[in-house]
Amino acid sequence: MAMGAKRSPRAVAVLRAIAMRVLVIDPDPARAALVAEGLEGVHPLEVRRSARFDEREAIEFAPDVVVIAAESPDRDTLESLREASQANPRPVVMFVDRSEPGLAEQAVRAGVAAYVVDGLAPARVRPILDVAMSRFALTQQLRGDLAKVKADLEARKTVERAKGLLMKERGLDEDGAYRLLRKLAMDRGKPIGAIAADLLAFAGVLKGDAS
Amino acid sequence: MSGLADLKLGFIPLTDCAPLVVAKSLGFFTEEGLDVSLSREASWATIRDKVAVGALDGAHMLAPMALAAAAGATGGLTLDVGPSLIAPMALNRNGSAITVSTALADAMRAADPEAMAEQPVSARALARVIAERAGQGLSPLTFAVVFPYSMHNYELRYWLAQAGIDPDRDVRLVVTPPPRMVEQMRAGDIDGFCVGAPWNAVAVLEGLGEVLISASAFWPGGPDKVFGVTEAWAHHYPDELRAALRAMIRASAWADDPANRQELIDLLARPDHVGVAPEALARALNDEIVFHRDGAGLPRREHALWFLSQMVRWGQVAADIDLEAAADAVYRPDMFRAAALTAGPVVDPAQVFDDGPPELAPLFEGPAFDSTLAGRYAAGFSIGRARA
Repeated sequence: MAMGAKRSPRAVAVLRAIAMRVLVIDPDPARAALVAEGLEGVHPLEVRRSARFDEREAIEFAPDVVVIAAESPDRDTLESLREASQANPRPVVMFVDRSEPGLAEQAVRAGVAAYVVDGLAPARVRPILDVAMSRFALTQQLRGDLAKVKADLEARKTVERAKGLLMKERGLDEDGAYRLLRKLAMDRGKPIGAIAADLLAFAGVLKGDAS
Repeated sequence: MSGLADLKLGFIPLTDCAPLVVAKSLGFFTEEGLDVSLSREASWATIRDKVAVGALDGAHMLAPMALAAAAGATGGLTLDVGPSLIAPMALNRNGSAITVSTALADAMRAADPEAMAEQPVSARALARVIAERAGQGLSPLTFAVVFPYSMHNYELRYWLAQAGIDPDRDVRLVVTPPPRMVEQMRAGDIDGFCVGAPWNAVAVLEGLGEVLISASAFWPGGPDKVFGVTEAWAHHYPDELRAALRAMIRASAWADDPANRQELIDLLARPDHVGVAPEALARALNDEIVFHRDGAGLPRREHALWFLSQMVRWGQVAADIDLEAAADAVYRPDMFRAAALTAGPVVDPAQVFDDGPPELAPLFEGPAFDSTLAGRYAAGFSIGRARA
């Protein structure tokens, strides 16, 4: 499926907005063809095959899902990208040979990407990629939620400290200190946590903590 | 069946797979009652995953890769919550090196001939080249390492940073499997790399690269690969593990012996092992890699803590984790000693059972490493990404 080869930039952009993009990293063209066949129900679809993983190409193509053989030497490179950049992670589907008993089941149980025993009956490709992508989306959401909870907790701690500072320096009671912070936040159109952090930072500077 | 299981062990085509290859080829595993098959693997990620899920019983591993999960690193592609890996034996000391393309080496000599004449060579000349390129608006130089959690990554980063080069900002760092380093340098995709033997020598012999600094100059006797298994496997098969370690201890002693050098080279050169020219293999074996002597097989806690300190330094793991607990969960000198105790006369007990902290001289005038204060050490570098 060599798509996009001679399309105008605008047509590509339109296609981009809706097409499901699958990057298959495999020196074997037959495997990429099987993936395309298994995804025939998905229109439009772009399947790009590379014998090797190329970071720049992957960034430019921006696949929705990456398909790679578990035995591929490119796995370390792919893994390092996931490790290094949280910016644009992608679900990865790996195909495992039947000669590795247990690997597929165990891997699915353990983690993020899907493995498939003995590759590629075309009929199985679509559900596998779907599962991998929805699972990946869920994991990303959970990670996002966790980060938000952590940030909220951090903000609450900052507000508490800023309240304490106001109570001490301005002789306010707790309620008064909170109302003052809230007013500052509203006046400046900033979150109360950010106002509290600013206040603490300025107080630090005035005390000579920072230069 | 003798009661001892058949074992399947994995390795990557590198000179330091020798303890596995020798133990298999010379019958040391068989003498221990083990029927071992070796599986040459294409990537470290595959090695880790296969060991973690039991498709391999054990393998040649990057020491930091075994430590990463215990330290809470999130880099695992598939097995974020996989079984824990342990390192009951170190396979070698030294073996890696930093190599740059001949063109870059020439540029470095032109930029700062004095710095290039120093031994061991620093990255100061490289810092000048990088500054010149930036001034001309050229794209950053690309360096490759073998895996994010590897001695090679930390060695290259450390060496660059000591010359004021920020490895995350001033160069582009990529990951490439060892056997592909040389072809990527030939293609001009990478300007330099840090990889294990024999791939540095291969680049030199092909006239593509120059070795700037080898691990033995960076950190004499510094750590490198380990033999890794899962904790669960070690728990269920303690006799098999001891037998396998004994066979590899004998293989390591054999591999160190200069009388066996040519035979070792021929063995490693076979296409089903490392598969490169004997000449390239000979280089690092002659004066670089140590498999056995000076207690090289003992997985030392201080080494684990140094690796962990670098994970903290580069932001791969949080700074507030318990580094000592992670080190002790993975590095198992007790298991090595239990095997070494019964391995016969090849083992010098004084070296294997010596608990005194080894002297680690400051690396490249960096801060002194005190293994009891690994966290503070990690935070003590001017270039780093330690995160709370």
